[in-house]
Amino acid sequence: MIELEHIVKKFHADKKDTAIHAVNDVSLTINDGDIYGIIGFSGAGKSTLVRCINLLERPDSGSVKIDGVEMTKLKPRELYKARTKIGMIFQQFNLMPSRTVFQNVAYPLKNMTKDEIKKRVRDLLALVEIAEKEDAYPSELSGGQKQRVAIARALANDPTILLCDEATSALDPQTTGSILQLLKDLNKQLGLTIVVITHEMEVVKNICLKAAVMDAGKIIERGDVFTIFSDPQHPVTRNFVRTTSNLSKIETLIKDDSPMVQLKPGELMARLVYIHADVSEPLISFASREFDIEINIILADVEIVAGAMVGGTVVIFNGPRERINRAIDYYKSKDIRVEVIKDAGA
Amino acid sequence: MPELKILLPNLMKRLPEFWRACGDTLLMEAWSGAIIFIFGLIFGIILTVTKPGGIMENRPVYQVLDKIINLFRSIPFIILLTALMPLSRWIMGTAIYVRGVIVPLVFGATPFFSRQVESALAQTDKGLVEAALSMGSSPFEVIFRVYLRESLAPIIRAITITIISLLGLTAMAGAVGAGGLGDFAIRYGHDRNMIDITWVVVAVLVLGVSVVQWIGEMLARKNTH
Repeated sequence: MIELEHIVKKFHADKKDTAIHAVNDVSLTINDGDIYGIIGFSGAGKSTLVRCINLLERPDSGSVKIDGVEMTKLKPRELYKARTKIGMIFQQFNLMPSRTVFQNVAYPLKNMTKDEIKKRVRDLLALVEIAEKEDAYPSELSGGQKQRVAIARALANDPTILLCDEATSALDPQTTGSILQLLKDLNKQLGLTIVVITHEMEVVKNICLKAAVMDAGKIIERGDVFTIFSDPQHPVTRNFVRTTSNLSKIETLIKDDSPMVQLKPGELMARLVYIHADVSEPLISFASREFDIEINIILADVEIVAGAMVGGTVVIFNGPRERINRAIDYYKSKDIRVEVIKDAGA
Repeated sequence: MPELKILLPNLMKRLPEFWRACGDTLLMEAWSGAIIFIFGLIFGIILTVTKPGGIMENRPVYQVLDKIINLFRSIPFIILLTALMPLSRWIMGTAIYVRGVIVPLVFGATPFFSRQVESALAQTDKGLVEAALSMGSSPFEVIFRVYLRESLAPIIRAITITIISLLGLTAMAGAVGAGGLGDFAIRYGHDRNMIDITWVVVAVLVLGVSVVQWIGEMLARKNTH
């Protein structure tokens, strides 16, 4: 279990006294076996926060406990030992260019005979499915292969925790998918606790069950990924959720004054967001019939997040205003969030 | 060979002295080079790890070493040669000949080599250091297994450049009676206007520089992947 309590980390810009709070009083608990996402725009403090877990950054104040052990109080020797149980992978892979794949993975192995090292490295390379590249140098590998080697190296000393710092941000979408799948498998096979730092909502959506959203050094929202996606509370979170949803395209269409979004008098455009909705109900056609109005779907986007449905539609209501209002009330009673985007007036 | 006697009359008459000058230059180069290598490597590493943001950040140590190196780098070698005579007498027992010039050579070239090592180590990707620390490496392990190992090629290049510039310094050291090729060229080539001796010394130095450069480049390339 990772327990961070009231972590504060300041950086001093230049030589002035103005300190920048990279991490400002953050508390966070991550349970064993979780895949926990920490998402935020660059500069939000998420990389600094994750480096406080293995003390690559020493927090100015606060407590870092791993399985009950207070990391900030360890002596240097004990800290080095503790770090071998916390693997870390990076955006730029950070493989040693002068060493082969084998030598890179063998780097953290100590107090073992040559044969033991050989066996351990081969097992690890087989685990990440890159055994055939044993003698290659990192410069001969693709990005995805490099990250696989980096994962093998991070797992060399049987860590219980794996920290991933933007581990897929330098990879193309397909390779990202395969690396995320590998992380998911490792989580299941080894019971590994994985902390994923990313600015890509797709990544969180893909592998995390729980997540925290960071902005300006603070966690502004946290919880299970489904809730964050379906019902984001903070504007920054909404921004993130929108980046992965088609529904955000409506703003672009309005900005471009597309003919698709021109309203006739009396019409009203709204975004219907399903929060806990049973999407199998024919919500649009039912309301259309029941209240005798036209409901025209402009955009629709529904997807599966953490095993549940999330999404919504952008529609234009056409009809007497009083009936439109009754339809909107009906949707609200069904736990659908209705956001009016544009109103041509009654 | 009679042709050589015609072509290089003065040199051929002083062949034994010429060979001794070559040997003295090599001797100066080897002794001072070995000492400079050890001290420069140590100072370069200290600069790298103690500088702000380094793995053993230590402001006072960095500032003091940084200033001392700058000080010695700005003193012209010819002044260093004479100024360090008392120190040389105290350490080596003499201020002349090969033994007497080792101390000024070390003081003259160590700061240069330290800076070369510092900039070679600075080429190490910070991410590699971070990765090593995250795997539980101690700062000393990071120095030996990451910094030195991963910047082997630039360090070899730094050694090459330092050996070559040291060759220039040993020639200058001839001026204070250190012997060697520089002394040989000045005494005969310049003072007695024996042009052939000047030419041969220059040719030997050019050859030496080329060989060092070629070996250095070959080793550096062998260690680049």
